[in-house]
Amino acid sequence: MFRFQSFDEDCTLEEEGLVEEDEIDQFNDDTFGAGAIDDDWQEAHARLAELDELVRDGPAEDTPSAPHELPPVTSSTLSPPPPLYSEERAGGDLAESLSRLILGSDPAIAGVGTASLDRSRLPPVLSSHTHPPALAGQSPLLLSYPQNQQLLHRGSAPLSQINSHSIWENSMVFSPVGVNSGLVNQTEDSPLLSIIKEVGLPKRPPALGREEGRDLSERVPPPRSSSPVIGSPPVTAVPIGTPPKQPMSHILIQQNNHPSAVHVRASVPLRYPPPFPERLSPNNLLSITNPPLSHHSFPGVGPILSQIQRAQLLNAQFQRCPGPPPPLLQGGVGGFRPFFGQSGPRMGLHGPHLGHVPIRHNTTHLHPQHRRMLNLRMQNRGTGDHLSGRGVLERKNRDPYSNLMMQREKEWVARIQMMQLQSTDPYLDDYYYQNYYEKMEKRQERDRDNKKEHSTKLITPQVAKLEHTYRPVQFAGSLGKLTVSSVNNPRKMIDAVVTTRSDDEEKREKQVWNKRRQILYTVEKMYTLLLEVQDFEKKFLQTPEHQRDALLEQHKSHTLQLYSSLKEKEWADRVSDEQCLMIMSVRKGKRLISRLLPFLPQQQAAAVIMAIARNLPALAKKDKQDQVLCWLVEPVTVVIQSMSSTSLTDLLQELQGSEGQLPLVLQNKFGVTVLYVVLSEGERMQSSDPNCQLMDDNRWTELVFSVTRELLKVPSSALSSPLFTPPNLVSLFSRYVDRQRLELLQEKLQITALSR
Amino acid sequence: MNYMPGTASLIEDIDKKHLVLLRDGRTLIGILRSIDQFANLVLHQTVERIHVGKKFGDIPRGIFVVRGENVVLLGEVDLDKECDQILQRVSIEEILEEQRTEQQAKQESERLKLQAVKERGLSIPKADTLDDF
Repeated sequence: MFRFQSFDEDCTLEEEGLVEEDEIDQFNDDTFGAGAIDDDWQEAHARLAELDELVRDGPAEDTPSAPHELPPVTSSTLSPPPPLYSEERAGGDLAESLSRLILGSDPAIAGVGTASLDRSRLPPVLSSHTHPPALAGQSPLLLSYPQNQQLLHRGSAPLSQINSHSIWENSMVFSPVGVNSGLVNQTEDSPLLSIIKEVGLPKRPPALGREEGRDLSERVPPPRSSSPVIGSPPVTAVPIGTPPKQPMSHILIQQNNHPSAVHVRASVPLRYPPPFPERLSPNNLLSITNPPLSHHSFPGVGPILSQIQRAQLLNAQFQRCPGPPPPLLQGGVGGFRPFFGQSGPRMGLHGPHLGHVPIRHNTTHLHPQHRRMLNLRMQNRGTGDHLSGRGVLERKNRDPYSNLMMQREKEWVARIQMMQLQSTDPYLDDYYYQNYYEKMEKRQERDRDNKKEHSTKLITPQVAKLEHTYRPVQFAGSLGKLTVSSVNNPRKMIDAVVTTRSDDEEKREKQVWNKRRQILYTVEKMYTLLLEVQDFEKKFLQTPEHQRDALLEQHKSHTLQLYSSLKEKEWADRVSDEQCLMIMSVRKGKRLISRLLPFLPQQQAAAVIMAIARNLPALAKKDKQDQVLCWLVEPVTVVIQSMSSTSLTDLLQELQGSEGQLPLVLQNKFGVTVLYVVLSEGERMQSSDPNCQLMDDNRWTELVFSVTRELLKVPSSALSSPLFTPPNLVSLFSRYVDRQRLELLQEKLQITALSR
Repeated sequence: MNYMPGTASLIEDIDKKHLVLLRDGRTLIGILRSIDQFANLVLHQTVERIHVGKKFGDIPRGIFVVRGENVVLLGEVDLDKECDQILQRVSIEEILEEQRTEQQAKQESERLKLQAVKERGLSIPKADTLDDF
């Protein structure tokens, strides 16, 4: 108490100097390093030296009491000091206090006692001086720092320096002494202090009052030893923790007057300063900050609060209106928002400067690229602020990290996504989406009742399906093709062209060939038999008597076999048409038949001939060369001549068998010949044997009649000449036709025989 | 600008607070800053939220780059609705402790179950081949 009473402004410094004399050097060397800073420290030292002299003159009894005073001070509110202070500060001069502040910026001077002194002194100082109310508002909060620091140090000393709390106290340059019980328990001040160090409090805050100046001078952090970015512009912005508005302006002025690189220190880990909102009460602030973050046991949280972040936040704060923090900040990212309020004070200072070049004070340690981007974003935000309204947009504008993804990049991603939506057949590729979309559209139409507005529709690109067939490059007149291979056109070494005949064709051809072979095979077989049969006589003569029966038997069997091969399966006396046709289709077969016929028994031979006659048109068609068939004429004639009348009639009938057969027969030489033979035979029968049964039924007559008719009808050209014309045909016809017709027939017969 | 209406494109979600659920069960809350065609995400000011019962705890994590294939789902956080939460926020230590307890309880129950099953002569094959939980 007495100490305070006797104190004047000089004494505070004196006390600090006396107490902390040992540590002056310590702080100078270790804390602040060699320093690429201006000779501020030297100046400071000189000043301090001056002050020391002054101080020493002052009462010395105060010093010992100072340390003792601290504990009670920290534990309780600073109630006792204020009244004392009022005495002290009544006559204080602002300028004086500021100068003190400058002088006392060296933390070496800072002392435990002085901290409390300052604290106690400040409220009256505030009241007496024309400090901005903001400062007063700040004071209670800021004051807590030293208190907290002391608490912190009492508890555990993460800081290696002894009495380092004094530094922090000194760093509380702008915190007027005040009473604040709310933040006493806060242990997050060390990060703040570290940040302050990083950001760089102004070395000489001149604007504050003398008393405050003293306090603040204690709290001014040491200048930065080395700038991470060499040649970076001097820090002009106000560091964290600076009192708002007026004091800040003073400080700024001071800063401008003494442009010096702000001392940047490595942040002390695990420290989070409590936020310094401009208008928020400390309690509010506490609620905002994340309690768990205050625990030192959480190392992971430490590095998060990086310099850049702080800088960002600070910058963000600049443009934020003093008001409740945006929900974005509150949303569970508490640890990141400790600076929310701290730059609040800054708001006032830089209010008019919105949108201008942002403060660079805290960005000097950023990467220059980063800083540029930051500035850009700040500017954008600045412009956006003017235009935007309330709400989300405002929030967006406050977000310093917004638009990290530029428009170009967004479009790029959108383009890739659109490419993926390309389809030639949307109903095939995305059936369910198409249906869903249609339903939606219908619903929309229904709901809106054809209102004019339509929601934006995504038009997926429709790509026409293109067939891309690769054609290898060819030069005209060159042999072969270029062998250039790629993914789309693998090399073609050989132009293997596959020509596939259609299956049907192949089948047919094969069938035909197979059939022919079959026929030939059969014919061959039959031939062997036939030869056997033909050679029978010879054999017969040659074989001895006793074996002749056997031979005969053999002969018979052979002939039977031959016939059986021709005949139909079921009918014994009818030759299978197919078989016959089959055999007769081949020339060999025709020959075979012709040779076979003499050996067949009458009946069988007749049957064969019947078959032939029946199938004459087919046979004629197959046998374009008449000669082949004509081989058959002789044997056929022989057979016919031995035929009975009935069979003859049958034969004639067969010849005329189907519709249109006769003309065809007549066209064919063989056919004509056979016909004539038949007719002549019939005539012979009739003429020779009066009892022939030819006339028993009208069949013969009918048939002859039809023949004559046909002969008359058929033009001469269509009538093929027979091999021979039996002479008795005329007499035959004469029986049935009148004279006129007979003559015609004669002509026909003659013409045909002669002409061809 | 309306990017790709009617589709699940993330472009509209940029610079908005999102909740992302990962395949390993973690819940991340952060501001979505950047995406790409694989839905790889860049989350800013990310917080890992651990839920145990009615309590939750936040662990600040910083910047996350999430590979798209590891995302189960993500959705925008309604900042207004976020304020009125039914769940109770606790400290990180507490929530981790709770989580540990929960895990232990689960393991214990699993063990008992396995034991019971073994006693009965049955066996449940271990899900070793499963990738995710």
